[in-house]
Amino acid sequence: MGGRAVIALLIINKAGGLIYNRTFGEGLNQLNSNDYLVLAGTFHGVHAITARLNPLREHQAAHYYAQQQQYQHSASGSLGGASSSGGGGGGGSQGGPLPSRPEPPSGLEVMETENFRLQCFNTQTGTKFLLFTDTMQANVDVAMRKVYELYADYVMKNPFYQLEMPVRCDMFDRKLNSYIREINNSR
Amino acid sequence: MPVQVFSFYIFDRHSHGGGAYRDSRSAATRAKDDAKLIFGTVFSLRNMVRKLGGDDDAFISYRTAQYKLHYYETPSSLRFAMLTEPGALSMRNVLHQIYINLWVEYVVKNPLSPVEHKNGDGVRNEMFEMGLDKRDEGGPASLNRGATDAASV
Repeated sequence: MGGRAVIALLIINKAGGLIYNRTFGEGLNQLNSNDYLVLAGTFHGVHAITARLNPLREHQAAHYYAQQQQYQHSASGSLGGASSSGGGGGGGSQGGPLPSRPEPPSGLEVMETENFRLQCFNTQTGTKFLLFTDTMQANVDVAMRKVYELYADYVMKNPFYQLEMPVRCDMFDRKLNSYIREINNSR
Repeated sequence: MPVQVFSFYIFDRHSHGGGAYRDSRSAATRAKDDAKLIFGTVFSLRNMVRKLGGDDDAFISYRTAQYKLHYYETPSSLRFAMLTEPGALSMRNVLHQIYINLWVEYVVKNPLSPVEHKNGDGVRNEMFEMGLDKRDEGGPASLNRGATDAASV
């Protein structure tokens, strides 16, 4: 049994600003608040770069392009046929399957080091949740989901919370604390 | 189980894309631009990890949905970075073996090899590249065999 499983939570808004920062256990160096802000900004930038570094992007783009060409070709072909026969069938419905768009690049999701593990969850709106755990912690995905749920319930539904501003919500703090304590004590 | 390796980079302590070696199966052609981005990423993450985890902490790898980057740094600040498929297990020992069995053997011990590889020319060492290609085809098993061979010599 090592130290605490979940060490810290950081929330970064879509502009790279640190809006929440909380430490639950030992295992990481304590930084001053300015360093945490720098860290959040740096991570935001690195995350954007890691999303661009997809080694298969050209392959996927070419595949998509070929599919699209094929689709357009078959669609225009069926359209021409329909007009010559007097617009009988629903035009375009018999064209090939819609080309599937390649999955958008995700950026850094998990980082491992010798002393800790960092899980990053990027929401649809660009808010990033960083969960620092020790290297042995399992089921971080589940914990992350729950943290996001708490955020949705107690931060986003708080009428006094201003978007993109630092999170100061008592209920969120309390619920988060009791959930993380539950995880850390169950080990 | 073969692991798909997309690309492999070595950076010296001056951040020149020392020996940027690219896997032939990779579809990427912008290797040189990528090398700069990868160096920047790895450099930032390493500093971040040192700050948070203490000076003895070392950055090992990160994963996205599309790929996984493995990292190994020697005490002389030579940095190895390898991009593989996201499901790959830790390749740290593989990078370490590449350093010991290929880099030290063929590049460091080569009297004609320059001390520093400048201008991004790459290592251009036939034996080194051959070794990389071989271990690339053979997978980790062949590498382990190479390791024991080297130890017994």
